[in-house]
Amino acid sequence: MEKLAKVILKFRWLITVTVILITVFLAYQIKSIEINSDVVSALPDDDQDVALFKKIGEDFGGNKIGMIILEAENIYDNEVLLDVQKLTDTLSLLDGIASVTSITNIIDIKNDEFGFEVGSLVDVYQLPYSNDQLTQLEERVMSKDMFNGVIVSEDGTATLILVTLTNDADIQEAGRLLIDKAESLHLKEKLYYAGMPMMVTAISELIASDLIKLLPLAFLVIAIVLFFSFRSLRGVLLPLLSAAVAIIWTLGIMALTGYAMSMVTNNIPILLLAVGSAYSIHVINKINQVKETDSRRAIITALTYIFVPVTLAAVTTIIGFISFVFGAYLTMIRDFGIFTAAGTFFSAFMALFFVPAVIDTFSFKGRKVRENRSEGRDSLLPKYLLIPLKNLLFKHPKYTLITWGVLLVVSAASILLIQRSVDVKEYFKRSNPAWQAEEIMMQKFGGSKPIFVSFKGDLQSPEVLNAMLGTEKMLKENPHIFTTQSIADLIVEMSDALGEGRKIPDDRDKIEQMWFLLDGNPALKQMVSDDLEEGLIITKFASSDLSEKKEFVKEMKQFIEKNSNGDYNITYTGMPFIEMKMDKSLIQSQIRSLLIAILAMIFVVGAILRSIPTGVYATAPIIAAIVVLFGVMGLTGIPLNIVTVLVASIALGIGIDYSIHVISQFNYSYRNGKSLHDALDDTITISGKSIFINVVSVSAGFLVLIFSEMVPLQYFGILMALSMVGSGLAALTLLPVILILVHRKRLS
Amino acid sequence: MKQFTILFLSVLFFVICGTGTYAQDAQTLLSKMDEVMYSPKDKQGTVQIILTNRQGKEKEREAIFKQKTNKSLYRYTQPESQAGIATLSLPDGVMWLYMPAFGKPKKISLLAKSQAFTGTDFSYEDMATTPYAERYTPKLLEANTEAYLLELTPKSDKSKYSKVVVTLNNKNYYPIKMEYYDRGNRKFKEATYVYEKIGKYWNAKQVVMADLSKQHMTKILLTNVKFDQGIPDSVFTVENLVPKKEKK
Repeated sequence: MEKLAKVILKFRWLITVTVILITVFLAYQIKSIEINSDVVSALPDDDQDVALFKKIGEDFGGNKIGMIILEAENIYDNEVLLDVQKLTDTLSLLDGIASVTSITNIIDIKNDEFGFEVGSLVDVYQLPYSNDQLTQLEERVMSKDMFNGVIVSEDGTATLILVTLTNDADIQEAGRLLIDKAESLHLKEKLYYAGMPMMVTAISELIASDLIKLLPLAFLVIAIVLFFSFRSLRGVLLPLLSAAVAIIWTLGIMALTGYAMSMVTNNIPILLLAVGSAYSIHVINKINQVKETDSRRAIITALTYIFVPVTLAAVTTIIGFISFVFGAYLTMIRDFGIFTAAGTFFSAFMALFFVPAVIDTFSFKGRKVRENRSEGRDSLLPKYLLIPLKNLLFKHPKYTLITWGVLLVVSAASILLIQRSVDVKEYFKRSNPAWQAEEIMMQKFGGSKPIFVSFKGDLQSPEVLNAMLGTEKMLKENPHIFTTQSIADLIVEMSDALGEGRKIPDDRDKIEQMWFLLDGNPALKQMVSDDLEEGLIITKFASSDLSEKKEFVKEMKQFIEKNSNGDYNITYTGMPFIEMKMDKSLIQSQIRSLLIAILAMIFVVGAILRSIPTGVYATAPIIAAIVVLFGVMGLTGIPLNIVTVLVASIALGIGIDYSIHVISQFNYSYRNGKSLHDALDDTITISGKSIFINVVSVSAGFLVLIFSEMVPLQYFGILMALSMVGSGLAALTLLPVILILVHRKRLS
Repeated sequence: MKQFTILFLSVLFFVICGTGTYAQDAQTLLSKMDEVMYSPKDKQGTVQIILTNRQGKEKEREAIFKQKTNKSLYRYTQPESQAGIATLSLPDGVMWLYMPAFGKPKKISLLAKSQAFTGTDFSYEDMATTPYAERYTPKLLEANTEAYLLELTPKSDKSKYSKVVVTLNNKNYYPIKMEYYDRGNRKFKEATYVYEKIGKYWNAKQVVMADLSKQHMTKILLTNVKFDQGIPDSVFTVENLVPKKEKK
């Protein structure tokens, strides 16, 4: 180790300059980093539901529908209709927009004194004006399933403007453009924006604003903590600098390799700041502690001691992150694992190579080590916290153990209360317009999450169309399904208008000839393929309750089994089903990543400390902290979601470092001939201080996330801070007690 | 001052005369185009309609058509499933549809003229039999050695177009190209014409209409075209929509 330390100092200029050059290059790359918060694109392609969902999205444009809700006292008012039309016309001219459907241009099939018409609900050039006309329109809308609750809410206070993007449109750009354009019209009605493109746009903007707002705040908070810990410019600047470099490298590589910032990977900078600064803190702390007159000598001695513990700390943290790569359902979680692991590696590299190189480069050889002026202040921590703690542990090891036992039992029981949430809506605070928009969609239009039931077969055959109608009837029996739409409904409407009654004509010829009028109507694109061999039932599920979704899937499966025949093939997919999978994957992902992490920790820590039992002791406190973490989640109702699912394994990776510090220090003192009491005394006062600083600085960094605009990130921050405090406390109480008990047993 | 007044007046004179000449020219040119397009007393033949979608997939339709001033009759022969369907367009936007499976002709209401004509890239507006000069105000944009460029502004505020730019053959006055601009003044459709001379008339034997935003294309091929066959008015009646043999 000493050799390596000397090499580092020998090449200090090379290291410093190389790091600066790489940093400048990668910082330049960051400007091209993209933000992608499209959940659909993060879903695994090899999943059957997802593959079908994506395919239907591409073939029928279903995933690219934005919804603008226009709210007014009464929609059936000429001025309101004029505004809807203005919005419809303006938006349809934007780039990336395939079609815009609203009450002012929606397809309608009529038969009146002017004749039979496959046209639009209202005369585009002469919107209803008189009271009679408006009442007529209201009656028409209310009487038709294809309008009521689909385009206008039943209470007549909200209407939808459905915007389908072109296949090649950038969801985010188009979403922003739509919102800007709609707002620029300054309509007197209230507008809300819902649906995937709008949601993705809203989340992306939150990600960007979060980064801009929170990262400087996190730097400031950690700087303050560092200042109080080291009381030197070097102690503040170097950890922040090395963390900043690690963040730049990670983001730069993400940009360079074409990975976008997602709603999970966007917490990488803050995470790396919290984790990365810790390694430099250890290195600087050690250099400060070494009593050498020659500063270069001090660095070498410190590095020789600290290299292994920091490397070990980094390795365990990396294991925590890598555990997400296996068994993550969402690709954004896998990406998160890869890049946080890389970032942690960079942080450790900066702490072990860059920081010593910089210190050596910019300090004078032979300079005397300053007397530790903060000795008096520093002694406050041991005096009021660490020494009383040590005494307590020695006097009452069993009480400590019992306290932890009770805490663990309560927490373990509360784990069963943990809720899960995969609803994208829950990303937003309730005050956010995006949350409100989704809420209105849920209450007035049966939700915004589409379900597609695909029928493959001859879409001109009466049997297939009747089967579609039958399926729609079954769907509508579910209390959470309000409306369904399909080509079969349109055929029924046409049949009615042609005087054949409200049914699918028995005669295939009639259906075929109806296509003469339907052909080319833009409304059909979302329902039926060009070759008429695949048709969709489009519906929405208005509940985010998991058991209701499960029940629905069961009914659907039974129905399909009962009603399938050779004429057609029924498949179904939709956001609610994908959310079910995501939900299931949350638990699997949680268990799998945690198991991988725990086993790897025991093995790695055991191998490095050359004793598997030591590996187990080291892991015990952090496992206890994680059990408490889950308990808190269960008791407070903080749900497991795609961000909070990350906490346990990350906490494991970071928190285990505290145990490693404690065990290393204990072993060092104990093997150097100190008694159990003195060895523990050393351990708690020396390791206790750095653990305390580390817990405070890392937790403070994570707590900055409370100011995030995204609810899961707020939870993530709170839970990470909680688990840092928990694992620090466990390492300083539970672990020493275990060590006391194990050694007493051995001694006796 | 006097010199200035003279200069001013002469400039004014040229400007007025200039625009006057141009306006007249544009109007004359458009009328000449209408003459080429609408001069035959009647016209009949076979029309083949080929629709090509974004993926390059083609759909084909075929009909026998008869046209006379502002009336037209189309009787479809292909695809088989739509064979026998017939449409009759009469003046004042009246249209009748006959679908054999349903037996009786149905009057079709055409509130939205801007919508596409049964799956093609032509709107009912494009298919109108009213001369262009009656529907548009022309402006001459350019006159070069081969063609005139006319900008047509719709007279009706119900048009889907903000303008149509027509490239006109400068010898025979048939359109070579028509470019359609939406209300946001973006070009979104383009029609190209191939004309041939049959007897004394120019006939558009091929028209290709491309919808640029939908990347969809409609090709119309006219064959067996005959002019001035003396088609009687009785052909263009609702009764005649139902083929004789089916009437009992």
